[in-house]
Amino acid sequence: MNNARAKVPLILLIFLVVELTVLDHLRVFGAGPDIMLLLAVVAGIVGGPRVGALYGFAAGIVLDLFLETPMGLSALVFCIVGYAVGSIQGGVLRAAWWIPVVTTFVASVAGVLAYALTATVVGQPGLVTPHLFVVAAVVGVFNAVVSPFALRLVRWAVADIERAERAYA
Amino acid sequence: MAVYRRSTRHRFLLVLLVLTSITVITLDVRGGGGGAMESVRRAARDAFAPVQSAADDVISPVDDFFGGLFRYGHLKAENARLRRQLADARGKANGASSADRERDELLALQKLTFAGDVPAVAARVVATSPSNFQLTVEIDKGLPTGIQKGMPVVTGAGLVGRVVAVSQERATILLLTDPAFNVGIRLSGSGDVGVARGNGVRQPLPVDLVDVGTKVTGGEVVETSGLQGSVFPPGIPVGKVRAAKVQPGSLQQEVSIDPLVDLSRLDFVKVLIWQPKADTP
Repeated sequence: MNNARAKVPLILLIFLVVELTVLDHLRVFGAGPDIMLLLAVVAGIVGGPRVGALYGFAAGIVLDLFLETPMGLSALVFCIVGYAVGSIQGGVLRAAWWIPVVTTFVASVAGVLAYALTATVVGQPGLVTPHLFVVAAVVGVFNAVVSPFALRLVRWAVADIERAERAYA
Repeated sequence: MAVYRRSTRHRFLLVLLVLTSITVITLDVRGGGGGAMESVRRAARDAFAPVQSAADDVISPVDDFFGGLFRYGHLKAENARLRRQLADARGKANGASSADRERDELLALQKLTFAGDVPAVAARVVATSPSNFQLTVEIDKGLPTGIQKGMPVVTGAGLVGRVVAVSQERATILLLTDPAFNVGIRLSGSGDVGVARGNGVRQPLPVDLVDVGTKVTGGEVVETSGLQGSVFPPGIPVGKVRAAKVQPGSLQQEVSIDPLVDLSRLDFVKVLIWQPKADTP
């Protein structure tokens, strides 16, 4: 369990560094990938609703530190996305390889749209435009493509938690 | 029963996290950019600055490599063009030594052609926005150089944006194409004023409040107006008029402008150490 606790910040840090240093250069049709959202989705797939919500919240709040949008906005959206993915996907144990990929695509698109809507509700102007769908598509496709790698990474981090939970149950 | 209790526990956790998020959002929005959230953000950005610099050193060659890979055809054409230019340049090189000296003098004299009396801090753009929903860049100068929130940022070509966050090591600049960006402008031809606002990445900026009777010509340069209470000093070039038309029955002209600065290729920028006069009535 201690081991697993150390792995959570490590995974967060890896994703954050990649997001802020590598991926900010990558722009397709004026939109870039969002792997903090990917982390929430993948954590939901691997660990179920609880892990999904926790990882989503942590990933969102860490990302919010580096954005100008209100603090907590990404945390709110990502924890709901993580929870939702975990609830839907949690029952599927040994699924075909493409099911997590498709789930990641759908969840990422939904996450981007949900983020734009929530941000609009708290008063951010000009987010709900036709360009939003381009952003959602780019994020969805990129996240789906890299999801197998992210899955492996998060599975490694969450394995200990799961074992501890099973022992607890 | 056990399953039921588990899912209730999960739902409780979700509700807890959602409420926490909403509390944090409220604190941040109500705090109006000051207070605890701001200092947490500053600390995080300062802590991350060395990591970012180190990672950038490693990544930029790789970035260049992939950039070159994807633009092979373009690079080949550019190479041919550069060879021609080199041949031309060799011919001129012999008589160029005096021109060299002149150039050095010009560089020494080089100043902004606008806002000449405003002190400025030169800075390097070190990162772009990690989000798809805000158009910002980060620069490598912060509070110790005198940069404050709200200060205008320019290049030699014109307005880039304004500072929206500063920490010890970094400052974040909201680009003028961001939907949250507004700037009071003056048309250089007629002198009429209006308000330009950002409209998203690579989109022209619509200008509001331009009178129907005003004559607007395509390509006309617009500058910051610097009217009372404006957040920018007057006379900074903002953009060129892309199109102007009057809809029948409308009370204002539909004018749109293109930014003068190429925002996708920012490298060095200058922050004008300038704050709006507080004593506006």
